[in-house]
Order: sequence, then C-alpha cells, then structure tokens
Amino acid sequence: MTTTPEVKISRNLLHTWIPSVVAVLAVIGALILKSHIPGGELRAVATIFMFIALSQAWNIIGGFAGYASFGQVVFFGMGGYFTAVVMLKYHFSFWVAMPLSGLFAAVFAMLIGLPLLKLKGHYFAIATLGVAEGMREVVINLPDLTGGGAGISVPIAGTFAKTQYLGDGGFYLLFLGLAIFSVGIGTLVSRNKFGYGLRAIHQNEDAAAAVGINTVRSKVMAYGLSAFMTGMVGASYVFQQVTIFPERLFDVEITVLMIMMVVIGGSGTVIGPLLGALGLQFISEYLREHFTSGHTFILGLIIILAVILIPQGLVNYIREGRRTKQYSLLTNIRRYRL
Amino acid sequence: MSEIPVLETRGLGRRFGSLDAVSDVSFSVPKGMILGVIGPNGAGKSTFINLVTGHIKPTSGKVFIEGKDMTGAAPWDIARAGVARTFQIVKPFNGMTVRENIAVGILYEPHGTNRMAVALREADEVLHTVGLAGQGERRPNELSTADVRRLEFAKALASRPRLILLDEVMAGLRPTEIGPSLDLIRELKAQGTTVIVVEHVMKAIVAVSDEVLVLAQGKVLMQGDPHEVLADPRVIEVYLGHRYAKRQKGNS
Repeated sequence: MTTTPEVKISRNLLHTWIPSVVAVLAVIGALILKSHIPGGELRAVATIFMFIALSQAWNIIGGFAGYASFGQVVFFGMGGYFTAVVMLKYHFSFWVAMPLSGLFAAVFAMLIGLPLLKLKGHYFAIATLGVAEGMREVVINLPDLTGGGAGISVPIAGTFAKTQYLGDGGFYLLFLGLAIFSVGIGTLVSRNKFGYGLRAIHQNEDAAAAVGINTVRSKVMAYGLSAFMTGMVGASYVFQQVTIFPERLFDVEITVLMIMMVVIGGSGTVIGPLLGALGLQFISEYLREHFTSGHTFILGLIIILAVILIPQGLVNYIREGRRTKQYSLLTNIRRYRL
Repeated sequence: MSEIPVLETRGLGRRFGSLDAVSDVSFSVPKGMILGVIGPNGAGKSTFINLVTGHIKPTSGKVFIEGKDMTGAAPWDIARAGVARTFQIVKPFNGMTVRENIAVGILYEPHGTNRMAVALREADEVLHTVGLAGQGERRPNELSTADVRRLEFAKALASRPRLILLDEVMAGLRPTEIGPSLDLIRELKAQGTTVIVVEHVMKAIVAVSDEVLVLAQGKVLMQGDPHEVLADPRVIEVYLGHRYAKRQKGNS
C-alpha cells in the first residue's frame, strides 16, 4: 500500500502555515479579549494561560522524552520561592528575578536528573514525587530564608519594590507571553533534532543510543528545559499572588493538573497539551458555575471516561483516526489495552 | 589499504555473577571483510555484540575501533565512531513513521544534516536500498515481520557506518526473503563497509562470509574459512553433540 498524494499534501498544510495562522489569530483574539472582560475574568483567563505554559513544560520531559515527572511542581515552587526571596531580601526587579528563577530550577533539575533519569517508569515518577514533597519540607524548615510555614510576601509597591504590581491586565499579558513562549519552545522541540532524539529515547532507549543519541545528555537537557519553563511560571505566579505559602506552591494538585492536561490532550504533541489546558480549565469553570455541589464529581467522571476511551489523548486519537480511517472508540480501547 | 583493523578485541570478557557469558575473546576484523559469527544458543553471540557496541560494559579485556581504544565507551560514542548495529529483538521507534525511524539515525550521524526535512529525503534512499520503498508513511507496528527486520537493518544503515553488526537480521525470514538480505550485505562490502553477521541460518553465513568465527560457551572455538570451519569436528560437536561428531568421523 502506498501513500496517496492528497494525504501528503494535507499533512504538509497541517504542518506549515495553518497552525501559524491559527496561532497568530489566537494571540490577536486574546489581546482583543483583554479589553472586553472584567478583572475577575482576566484572572481566570490568565490562569488558563498559566496552565498552557505549565502543560507545555511538562510535555517536554513527560510527553516527548516519556519520563513522567510526578514532582514537576517542585520547579514551580522553587522558581516561585527564588523570586520571592530575591525580590524581598535583595530587591531584585521581577524582570531579572523571573528568568533567574527559571535558571535556578533548571540547574536543580539537571543535578537531580543525573541520578533520577536513570530510573524508569514508575520508579522515576515516585522518585520525583518524593523530591517535591521533600523540598516543601525543606522550605517550611528554613523560616529565616523562606518565611517557613507562615509564608512570604513579595514587595509590590513603595520604595522597596523595584517592580510595581502588574495588576490584572499586566498579569494577563505576562501569562499570555509565557504561554506563547512555551508553545513556541514546544513547537521548536517537536520539529528539531533534539525533539526527535527525545522521541526515540521515549520509544526505545537502547535503540536510541545505538543510532548515536547521547541519551543521558538529552534527558538531562529535556528535564532542565522543562524545569526552566516551569520555574519562570512559578515566579510569575508568586508575583501575582503576592503572599505565598509552601503548601500552595508545592501543591501536588498543580502537577496532577499538568499531567491531566497533557495526557487528555495528547502527550508528545504541541497542540495536545494546549487543547488539554484550554479544555480542562473551561470545563472545570463551566461546571463550577452550573453545578455548585457536584462539579468536582462530574469533572472526575469526564476525566475517567476520557482516559478509558482515548488513553493516547485527543490529538493522537484524531491523528490515528485520520491515518487508519478508524474512529471507533471500542477499537481504540482494544488498541491501547494493557 | 590501512593495516589497522576496523575492530579488534583483546581478551574481551563479561561476567554475570558467577557466569562467564563471554570470556577471553581476541580477534580482529580487517576493513571490508564480512565476518560471520556462529555458535549454539547461549554461546554469547548477542553479549559479544553488546560488548562491542557499549550496551554492556566488559569486565575484562579491550575493544579497539579503528585502532582507538573504546573499551567501556557509551553506546552513542561507539555509534559516532562509525559502528552501527541491529538488535536481535527488533527495537523500532513505534511512535514514528518508518521514514522518521530512519531520519533520526541520519540526524544523529556526526557528519549528517541537522535539518529534519533533509533527513527525511535522505531516509527515502535508505528505504529504497533495503526494499521498503513506499512504506515510509506507515508505522513499524503495521509492517510484516520481514519488513520490520528490513527496517531494523535500515536504521543501522542510516548512520552510514564503517562497521555494521547484524544480530540475526535474517531470523524468521522465509528462504525467498533471505536472498535479498544477502545481496544487501554483499553490496555493503562492495562499498567498503565492514560487516559482522551473527546468524543462525548456516546456509546464509556460508554463502556470504569471508571468514567465520565460532563462539561456544563464551569463548572463541575457532576462526577461519567458512567451509573449513563448518567441516571441523569441534564445530560439529558444539552444534550437534559429541556422539554425532564421532559417528561423522567414523563414516568418513
């Protein structure tokens, strides 16, 4: 069986200009939206942007490289605390603190990645979870530096504040920028040599090494990049929240949300985590408004159904459907059964 | 022609617990040779390949690639030194198309392109060489057994190796499918590639090899001309047992 030319052409279109046009329109749409919605909704949409950035970051290590980082929130928390400490104690500008927080998280990720990325599957997942839980305890037990369990506040106004508080509109733009940045990084990785190396590692590490891929370096770099993006988002979140506590900044729920968004949307793709973040946040908000008592129950049910029916994620399901002309969900379950 | 062998091992060995999977293997392969490696099950053939390609670290001995000591080097460093391999249990990248499977190898070849679009074009040539033309857009798990073996071969060829180690690429193939594989191996030799063929299919080994090395219980039993090696009573003994070898001797 050979490929028909039409399939090739539509694939090419799909891979070149259509996504770019949609992306540009989406950004313009987001900018127009900004001046038409009130402060509360600005914050809600900014949260969606934040999760788009976080899910793209998780997707680098968890989706492309296939290393499910269950402790990803540690980079969010460390990036956040780094920004809080340098802004409060050393009067850093937020715009300097944010990229430094990303670097701080990335260096930490690469250091723990060297031993942890030798572990596979569940072992890696559990180990990273342990690191995140442990780091929260460390932060709680360093009250002089981090404020401990009592929390820490970032200066946002007056002479101590190098950077004045950005306000709802400012944070909307900041998180939009982070989302664009992360989708850009994801797109780059999905198409370049590094990204194909990660995919090869995901599918078979021995075979990847045999074709000349330095699997150790690639994995550590991927983990570092993922942590860099996550750390910058954490830094921005802290500035937005002003006062932060270890429980919230190292909350395992943040990791869980990142993973859900990537997995439901389609891991290892760029559009998947994007749709996952959008979809899950929208559904979650919608349910909260319309079903005051049972909204978490319904959301849980939707997630369970999605994971059972389309375990490879929405985008991968559609791609496979287009390729094999087979959209039956039952066939799909059979294809991915354990 | 250079005098330095493409691959040389000196006293190469690997011990797993109290078991010597491979021990004291010393031999060399000159440039452009097809060396067949045979041996009964458990003789250490796959371990031997893994030791050369760095997938398993040796516990004793040395590996030289084109005269350079590569003992204990990482698999990717060995690959970048011009050594490619196939796996006995095939390891395709199932999430990628067949063409992408090859393109990855091209991207990571030290002198190769860094651009995916170029690598994908070059991948088509490799697919054509191994007889997978037109299968580029399929997924490895949609291919027939024979085609998956071809893909495994193609992945090794993608990095344009100077030495290629083939671990049972013909296993599970029908007799009619073996012919093209042998032609491909001869074609590689004609282009100056050195080939080490590990194989169970005796006929194939004899047909294609310049020399044959016999491994038994992790040691080199003998190395030499294929026909002479196969007629040697020691080789017959390790394959078919002591009594059969004796009877053969009595008959002749």
